[in-house]
Amino acid sequence: MTEPLVSLDKVEKRFDDFVAVREANLEIGAGEFIAIMGPSGCGKTTTLRMLAGLDAPTSGEIRIAGKLMNEVAAHERDTPMVWQSLALFPFLNARENVEFGLKMRGIDSDEREKRAMNWLDRMEIAEFAERNVETLSGGQRQRVALARALVTEPKLLLLDEPLSALDAHLVIRMQGVLTKLQKELGITFVYVTHSQSEAFAMADRVVIMSKGEIAQVGTPREVYRAPRTRFVAEFVGRNNILPGSVTSSDADQVTVETGLGTFSVPGVATIGTKASIVVAGDMMQVGRGENSVDATVISEEFVGSIVTAFLEAADGTELKVQVQERALADLDLQPGSKVTLHWATQDGHLLLEET
Amino acid sequence: MTLFLRTWLCLVAGFIFLPIFVSMLFSFNEARFPTLPLTGFTTGWYEAIFSDPDFWRSAKNSLIVSTTTAVIATFLGFCTAYTDYRYSFRGKSLFLAIILLPPTIPLIIIALAMLAWFSRVGMSGQVVSIIAAHTVLTAPFAMAIIRLRLSQIDESLEAAAWNLGASEWRAMREVILPFCKPAILSSLFLTAAVSFDEFTVSWFVSGLNKTLPVHVLEIVQGTIDPQVNAIGTLVFGVSITLVVISQALIFFRLQKAST
Amino acid sequence: MRRLNLYALTFRLPIIIWQTLFFIGPLIFVVAMSFFVVRNFQMVETFEFDSWKRMLSRDFVWDAYVYTVLMAGSAAILASLIAFPAAYCLAFQTSARTRQIAILLLIIPFFTSYLVRTFSWYTILAEAGVLNGAVGLVGLGPYTLLNTYVGTLIGYLTLVMPLVLILQTVTMANIDDRLIQAARNLGCSPARTIWTVILPAGKTGFVIAALFAFILSFGDFVAPFYLGGSNPPTLPILIIDTTKAGQQWPRAAVVAVIMMVTLFVIAFSAIMYAYRKRASR
Repeated sequence: MTEPLVSLDKVEKRFDDFVAVREANLEIGAGEFIAIMGPSGCGKTTTLRMLAGLDAPTSGEIRIAGKLMNEVAAHERDTPMVWQSLALFPFLNARENVEFGLKMRGIDSDEREKRAMNWLDRMEIAEFAERNVETLSGGQRQRVALARALVTEPKLLLLDEPLSALDAHLVIRMQGVLTKLQKELGITFVYVTHSQSEAFAMADRVVIMSKGEIAQVGTPREVYRAPRTRFVAEFVGRNNILPGSVTSSDADQVTVETGLGTFSVPGVATIGTKASIVVAGDMMQVGRGENSVDATVISEEFVGSIVTAFLEAADGTELKVQVQERALADLDLQPGSKVTLHWATQDGHLLLEET
Repeated sequence: MTLFLRTWLCLVAGFIFLPIFVSMLFSFNEARFPTLPLTGFTTGWYEAIFSDPDFWRSAKNSLIVSTTTAVIATFLGFCTAYTDYRYSFRGKSLFLAIILLPPTIPLIIIALAMLAWFSRVGMSGQVVSIIAAHTVLTAPFAMAIIRLRLSQIDESLEAAAWNLGASEWRAMREVILPFCKPAILSSLFLTAAVSFDEFTVSWFVSGLNKTLPVHVLEIVQGTIDPQVNAIGTLVFGVSITLVVISQALIFFRLQKAST
Repeated sequence: MRRLNLYALTFRLPIIIWQTLFFIGPLIFVVAMSFFVVRNFQMVETFEFDSWKRMLSRDFVWDAYVYTVLMAGSAAILASLIAFPAAYCLAFQTSARTRQIAILLLIIPFFTSYLVRTFSWYTILAEAGVLNGAVGLVGLGPYTLLNTYVGTLIGYLTLVMPLVLILQTVTMANIDDRLIQAARNLGCSPARTIWTVILPAGKTGFVIAALFAFILSFGDFVAPFYLGGSNPPTLPILIIDTTKAGQQWPRAAVVAVIMMVTLFVIAFSAIMYAYRKRASR
């Protein structure tokens, strides 16, 4: 990566005794779509607010385009934000909302109106320009909020769970609008969300946070296939986690003794290390193979054409397997039935316990 | 049971509104001493007060006092409401207490305290003394109305303004004040109405610069004079107008917010 | 926590300064003044107990004290009892819309001249007044109501009734309907429901309403003066007499301090009682 647009260097934020963000290091490149995700209270929104200058870091350095931002007030930055509540000004109409940022920069009213209308047009809501924002639909308000944030043509756009108030079908549509917009503008999006599907659908890289710390940064695929901590493994996707310890080690492969048996997995580790084998739910297959475990089906969950079966092994370990719905008929996955699951060794992922 | 309750409610309402009604009625009655049966219609009592220079002087004082009070009290109430909304700091409850406490202290005590204090600091008997006293009495109402409005604000709104390049002062002007405008107007009318009616403290601190209610008090102390009914009806008209405007502003706003 | 800046101070300092000058200052001064003395018609700022000794040793002060507390207490209880059925009706037997309008109407007298309303009562209650004129038409009366404690009470009720009614109505309207329905379901009669559900559930509101009625009546001089004929005088009338007529401000200050302490004790106990969790039974 060349010169990053945004860099966080050992950034920490405390509110009295509470540490909201701890020792965060992160570099975001120009034109990247980054999603920061994690459960509520993990520090993702605080991180975003520090980028906007709404919270000041307790220690560490935040740089944007190489410039140290710690002491720069919120209104002196050009880091517009799309808010979870949208935060449209209720006493202004749609056009005046979009013009707000330009007005604050002292741009004259003709120019303001031209640029605001241009953006409303681009967001396909020019016809509502003079409407009170409170009379607009959720999707239209969303577009006003985007236009308002983008009208100053920033290099960096911050988005704080902007789609959380929308209906499911609108979310998918707005995701399309956002990714298209980001590619066209070529600017950096930092997108905070608790929704894995939103993050994975749009982001180039995702940042997973837990209890104020950055747990892992990587492409959606990396995070999904190779979680670095148990938290990440549990947080993303339907992963099977088999804890145990390393009993032997080859050049690029180790064996781990777990409660369900001893299995091989690619990776490097010293003998005796505590480690888990992580197998993604969609890599698990029904039947006998390279690495097999027996389990009892507890329940099933249908999401679209994918069925997730939840099973329990003899020692109580919870297992998940995802299969296509049309393949379901051939498999006996009724609750109560006993089945054998297997996975290919190279599909397993070695997860070393944090020390 | 229901019938009994309804009747009771009407009786209580009757008790509350009877004196207002009687006062209006007898402001147009000829007899010097108001009693039944009515003796005849007259506007004489109104003519009497309109030709009384004392009435005009005190009415003018009242107008000055209530408008100035309204502006200052609303400013103080706004500052408190905004501070309460925006900040948390040590000693905040004490801070709120010093503005919210006055209505719980009897007016007669405040009146005595103000009288003594103002003469001690050389401010006695002036119109500004009445204004200072009335701002203390009415600021809590302003605070309550504006705080209620601020509790309806989306908390991100002010931060959104900063985020778009507004300094704190600019955000105050462009976002907080426009948002609070109906409550501020409502507060102006309400505090003016309260100040316009207040007589205990005014009576103690006004000296020669008496307000209209003090003028009424002085008439009442003398004799039975239906002029009081006429003034009362006039003052009632003014107060009602102010209160109705104030209430309408809140009501209208709440209705709008709930749709 | 944010650092204090000019902006934040702009919204804090004016209030602190203003309220110190015109509220805290006067209140502290009135306490201090109770220890001043008057010599040769001049108030001397010292620290002596003359006024306290004088006022506390006089029977008429104690009589006025007892009378004022009793009258204000009666007004609070009477207003609460009289307002209750009306508030009950507004809270449970009218639509939300009617209730809203009723409350709006009830606010109106609260902001209209209490003085004029009292004068109006004076003309209504007088020996040759409206009421006696009315009952005289059917051959009754005249009744003496003015210059008695009845007159004072009517004045107090005029002052506090709208507020008590509003507070009680809001209190009862906010009681969870399911509680009442549950009680009725379990076979509680309406009267018992009031006793077992509404009163306990709305305790805080009822006590606060009564407390406000007490505070307002306790400090009012208009009703006992014009309708009660200062017969006997109440504490506020003592304050007026000693300030306006006698120029004995320190003595008035003593009465004011006594009133403040009394109010503080009563308000504190009432609030403790209102917010106390019910003891386990």
